[in-house]
Amino acid sequence: MTRVVHYVNQFFAGIGGEEAAGQAPDVREGASGPGLALGALLPNELQIVATIFCGDDHAAETPEAAERLVALARSAGAELVVAGPAFTSGRYGLACARVAAAAARAGIPALAAMHPDNPGVADAGAAAVVRSGETARQMRPSLELLAAAIAKLAGGGELSTEDGRVGRPPRRNRFDERSAAERAVAMVLARLAGDREVTEVPVPSFEWVTPAPPLEDPAHARIALLTEGALVPAGNPDRLASARATHWFRYAIDGIDALESGRYESVHGGFSTVAANEDPNRLLPLDAARELEREGAIGALHRDYLTTVGNGTQVAMARSFGEDWAGELRDAGVQAAILTAT
Amino acid sequence: MLQGGRRASPGLSLCVHHVSALTLGPRTGFCDGVLTVSRDATAALLADPALADVSLTCASPGDNIRIVKVLDAVEPRTKGPGGGGVFPGLLGPATHQGRGETHVLRGAAVLAAGYLPRAQEAVVQMTGVAARVSPLSALHNLVIEFSPEPGADWPAVEAAVRLGMLRVAVHLADAALACEPDQLEPLEAVAGGRGSELPRVAVITNLQTQGAFKDVLVYGRSLAGSLPTLVEPGELADGAVVSAQYGHPGLKNPTYVHQNHPVLAALRASEELELAGVVLSPEPVTEDQKRMVSEHAARLCRGIGADAAIVTKEGGGNADADVALKMDALEELGITAIGLFAEMAGSDGTGPSLVVPPAHATAMVSTGNYDEPVVLERVHTALGGSRLDIAGAGAADELELPTAAIYGSLNPLGWGHLTCAERA
Repeated sequence: MTRVVHYVNQFFAGIGGEEAAGQAPDVREGASGPGLALGALLPNELQIVATIFCGDDHAAETPEAAERLVALARSAGAELVVAGPAFTSGRYGLACARVAAAAARAGIPALAAMHPDNPGVADAGAAAVVRSGETARQMRPSLELLAAAIAKLAGGGELSTEDGRVGRPPRRNRFDERSAAERAVAMVLARLAGDREVTEVPVPSFEWVTPAPPLEDPAHARIALLTEGALVPAGNPDRLASARATHWFRYAIDGIDALESGRYESVHGGFSTVAANEDPNRLLPLDAARELEREGAIGALHRDYLTTVGNGTQVAMARSFGEDWAGELRDAGVQAAILTAT
Repeated sequence: MLQGGRRASPGLSLCVHHVSALTLGPRTGFCDGVLTVSRDATAALLADPALADVSLTCASPGDNIRIVKVLDAVEPRTKGPGGGGVFPGLLGPATHQGRGETHVLRGAAVLAAGYLPRAQEAVVQMTGVAARVSPLSALHNLVIEFSPEPGADWPAVEAAVRLGMLRVAVHLADAALACEPDQLEPLEAVAGGRGSELPRVAVITNLQTQGAFKDVLVYGRSLAGSLPTLVEPGELADGAVVSAQYGHPGLKNPTYVHQNHPVLAALRASEELELAGVVLSPEPVTEDQKRMVSEHAARLCRGIGADAAIVTKEGGGNADADVALKMDALEELGITAIGLFAEMAGSDGTGPSLVVPPAHATAMVSTGNYDEPVVLERVHTALGGSRLDIAGAGAADELELPTAAIYGSLNPLGWGHLTCAERA
């Protein structure tokens, strides 16, 4: 028998609606809510042994909620984790995707179900997302598709678009009989023969960030200085890596007028740091910002600067740093930030 | 040697000796495929005021050995006494090479491993699953470890190691001068005009040019600040391009691959295409300069009558732009462009693959995903250092590393067999 643990939000767990959206992660035995119908659709050797649940607000605002929920699933002996269906509900979809992603990271086969337009689709990491209808009115067909996908995943199968999989399937390394150089020569021949499509790398689509509107009153704004240029106090006390960041750090600049050469250094591994080390203000413009502060052109500088290294850093990691930084700055009453990139 | 009515300039002949075993012994010699290396003779070639000590170890395919902090690998080659010099501009005057005969010890490499500032830790494992990921694991490697002289300048240490490796590479190949080569490989010079009716393919090789320890030398000097230039395949084979670039283990082009340019080798093997020429280009650090050299390289390709071009790079991140801009510039001139890229799709393979994709061109070869983890079994012997800082582990421990940390794993010159594809 394969032990399946099912994730639902506060509403489908029967706790309540918006008023219960702050519900902390919890677990109960057996199937609940849509899990009852889902369980009935599963083959006999698959059983929903527990339901994990959490409020949508809590899940969206608490970065560690997904890990906590997976820990609860583990304690219930989960061999497979399934989340949703979340339909088009954004916060619920995000929570389902994060729970499935966290379970997959922990080595537990996992999948989530939601509408293809749900923003959560992009957050499922290595876990698969299968499509559901737009609203709970399409619960039945959504659960049927989900149950078939669970059975396939539990049997060691890979989910494809035919199984209702949505989002981009992960790319995996494999060895080819021919070297990359030999494949390049073969691609020249194919292209010259008129094949305008052949490629091994689909052109990626990037997320575009819409710039925020200008500050209405910079003279009264609190401004933060941020950098991905790996600027740290000399000696790199927290051992920020020179590439592939997994951490970011904050260092106080309160009461400091300018960054003195020799007291700060860049440990970035992707560019020549000589000029930055000679004058660290050119990497993080503290001297110029203080001048603007004295002139009254800006209100005040935030007490700390935030730093990491943007060199081979994974996009998902960078996105989570961005969320951390935005939260920290918002809580500190910062209205604008200057992020220098190298 | 008349081709298409033009006199082709003479090329280079490679006298290839296959190495089947590597061992240390009292005298350096080569006999029946066995390369014996003298510790004393080799140490003497590495003697330098910047180095306190060097040690030598053999690491052959299947050995229970991991090499960490790998810096460069060089194939043993020599032109013999009076034959001009390999590695021009470094071991001898920067005179034009790429003609006559060059003896090659194929299957062997001289490899240096140890700490240098700004170097990113690179790993070669000679056994197990990870051995398949690095092309170096298939070679008989003479591993040079070194301790800097206390107080020595790091640039002096780097130069001592680099020049020492090149001298050792020549010394080893000299041992084969008296032997009958196993095979002769002609490297024909590029025909000055259309030599046949075959489509002509140019090869654009971008070299990283980011200052100390992140640079590649052409005839002994950096290409930084230069315009793209044309070279002959024979010049590369004779060591006109030497790496002094120690970043990006998986995305690095060791001196070995410049000597054995994989794209040129693949083109030589094709009977359906003709080489139009080899363009070396710097990878400038500003966008306008990247754009300028890219357009210039594309015009050079048009000048040599190329119908298509294969573009390669060194390094990650911004080096994608050097390939992408050249591909677009080539297509703009009506030249079919193919680019080699490593992907940076995140450890789970779901992130965007390229940092800077081409705007118009789309023909891309994938050399694998940089971020995918690889498990390295514990080994008996570690060379190059006692710790692997990126993993926070002992150098011989069982480890999980991103593919990017395996030396040569995603080789942008197309050396390896790794690729990446959607799983479902």
